[in-house]
Amino acid sequence: MLYREALNNAIDEMMAADESVVILGEDVGRYGGSYRVSEGLFAKYGAKRVIDTPIAELSIVGNAIGMAIAGLRPIAEIMTVNFSLLALDQIINHAAKFRYMSGGKMTIPLTIRMPGGVSKQLAAQHSESYETIYTAIPGLIVLAASNATYAYYGLKAAIALNDPVIFLEHELLYPMKMEFKPQENFDPFKAEIVKEGKDLTIITYLKMRYDVLQAIPTIEQTLNITVEVVDLNSLRPLDMSTITQSIQKTKRVAIVEEDHKTGGYGAEVIARISEELFYELDAPPLRIAGQDVPIPYNRTLELASIPTPKKIAQKIIQWGRENGL
Amino acid sequence: MDYKIVMPVLSDTMQKGKLIRWRVHEGDRVHKGDVIAEVESDKAIMEVQTFQDGIVKKLLVKEGEEVPIQTPIAIIETDTNKKEALKPQQPQTSISPKEEPSTVPPVIQELLTTSPHPLPQGEASAAAKKRAAELGIDIQKLHSQKQLPTPAHLHDIEEIALKRYFTPKALKLLQDYNIDPKTFRKNHKITDQEVMSYIKEHNIPYSVPLSANRKAVIQTVEYAAKKPIYFVFETFVLKKVPNYKITAILLKKLGDVMQKHPLTRAKLEQEYLKIYPHSNISVAVAKGEELYMVVCKNIEEKSLEEINIWLQEIKDKTYIPQDLLGSTFGISNLGMFGIERFSAMINKDDVGIAAFGALQDNTIAVTFTFDHRILNGLDAAKFIQDCKKAFQGEENV
Repeated sequence: MLYREALNNAIDEMMAADESVVILGEDVGRYGGSYRVSEGLFAKYGAKRVIDTPIAELSIVGNAIGMAIAGLRPIAEIMTVNFSLLALDQIINHAAKFRYMSGGKMTIPLTIRMPGGVSKQLAAQHSESYETIYTAIPGLIVLAASNATYAYYGLKAAIALNDPVIFLEHELLYPMKMEFKPQENFDPFKAEIVKEGKDLTIITYLKMRYDVLQAIPTIEQTLNITVEVVDLNSLRPLDMSTITQSIQKTKRVAIVEEDHKTGGYGAEVIARISEELFYELDAPPLRIAGQDVPIPYNRTLELASIPTPKKIAQKIIQWGRENGL
Repeated sequence: MDYKIVMPVLSDTMQKGKLIRWRVHEGDRVHKGDVIAEVESDKAIMEVQTFQDGIVKKLLVKEGEEVPIQTPIAIIETDTNKKEALKPQQPQTSISPKEEPSTVPPVIQELLTTSPHPLPQGEASAAAKKRAAELGIDIQKLHSQKQLPTPAHLHDIEEIALKRYFTPKALKLLQDYNIDPKTFRKNHKITDQEVMSYIKEHNIPYSVPLSANRKAVIQTVEYAAKKPIYFVFETFVLKKVPNYKITAILLKKLGDVMQKHPLTRAKLEQEYLKIYPHSNISVAVAKGEELYMVVCKNIEEKSLEEINIWLQEIKDKTYIPQDLLGSTFGISNLGMFGIERFSAMINKDDVGIAAFGALQDNTIAVTFTFDHRILNGLDAAKFIQDCKKAFQGEENV
């Protein structure tokens, strides 16, 4: 199943099951969505439930919050996380706070979908990752879908939740064909053990999951170890119990993220691990992240600015050798 | 400029190579062609050379470590006053076919790779300290006695803990016989006698890992066993020549006769028989536990004297791949052990092999094994007939 099809199925099923579910955003209707996620939904549910909006992110989210207060279950699509900055006041001051400001009388069952990360030559203004902003806002739930299974179940769960959810996607994932694994008792807040191992835990999320998996054979062969890979899925709340179990077993941890290193989300994860699992660690934690530069347009420089399978393998092997692996 | 030396591909089947010994140290000056290391492939131990002049900047692999082929094993800092563009001698390992070809210019590549991690400071990792506290191990004391590396990791502490309960000899036995230390109750010092009696009681085997050489031999003989072969048993007349090895005489005579029989110089390759001009014979050479089929080349052009010297030299030589390639026929000689007659397995793609027994009363028993796909019975008979004549005659000696 394609990643974008998994998202489409999730929205379609939720709209069919619940009339209050609506979607709104730029080109989500007649055009079928910039990344074809809402393909076919306009024809099926009509202009009242699949709403094309002007290019105005503040109003997309503002209107969606209004709909949510009034009893609908809106899904707002922002074309890229960079543009969500225009809607930041609505997201932070309104969506995230209404439940608290109303003493629990009002809930905001809103899902805001947005793709981010480095695609191919979209340059600095269209390539950011802002999980570090959204995960710092109490009142928001932040989910990051790296695969078709989580995209489907995670998005359905997000729509069903009564609190605002920032649902992060990645632009390079939409056309990827992925295995779909049917789930029972799905928990959107649970991290996934992608691969079991006993000597090192690599924590990752979104597209870096695939770069890590490509680097694994080289790492395992060279260091003669087995590596465990944890895909976080939910960034806020963070599934510390899965992380804890893994590190108690492996005693070593590295986090691989695409975002800039300084202030990146990995810093938060490592901070939590240092606080809670310090005496479990047999080596200093390793952070592999993007360079602290605006993402370059030039493809060579673009790739130089973010982790790639080769760089991930190189850094982990070097770090491993220096730390007793 | 950094020049990376990678684990070389020494045979088609080689996946990994083991670094046996470094011949240089970090900081040594090396010249093009210098041997910098010995590595073990799946077939033999061979030498690795540098193709550039420079100074050994870093040895990336430890002695005894096994790494995949094409993995960098050493960095040579090449002379900076030379302006020529240095190209890597062998392509860098690519991690995955999916990854985009790296087109990152060298300047950026260096920025990415030359930000070395500072070596961790401190006496032990947090986990190692916690475990040491649980076990009542005094890290500082062990450091002052130089019994622990800095920083110490969990496995170092576990090792110390084991040393408390097992004598060094007992530990060695646990390792050799692959026994879990948890098998023993740790309420007293456990000696090698105790471990040995446990081994005998449970009839635990001693595991000898297959050497690369043995694995290669296994592969060769299994391949040989699948060939359609037949045997010819003969007895040749042979007079010992003083100061010459019998194997040298056998090589010379067979090699000369091979010149008259093109099919004994042939290799079967798909739709063709490829007939080579030279008489190249592989000779079974035992080196301790290891068995090599070393190839004596261009025998028809060599004198008996030269072959005799060659046989002396190969005894102590470290083989390079070329030493073991290019034969079309083989010889094995167990005569020195008094074996009267035996048969041998054909080496790799050779046409056949001649197994010689002991020389008795100027006669020597020989068993030929032939690959029927290349040599029919008639061809073999003619070849052996000529061999017989050559062995009887004096002219070649």
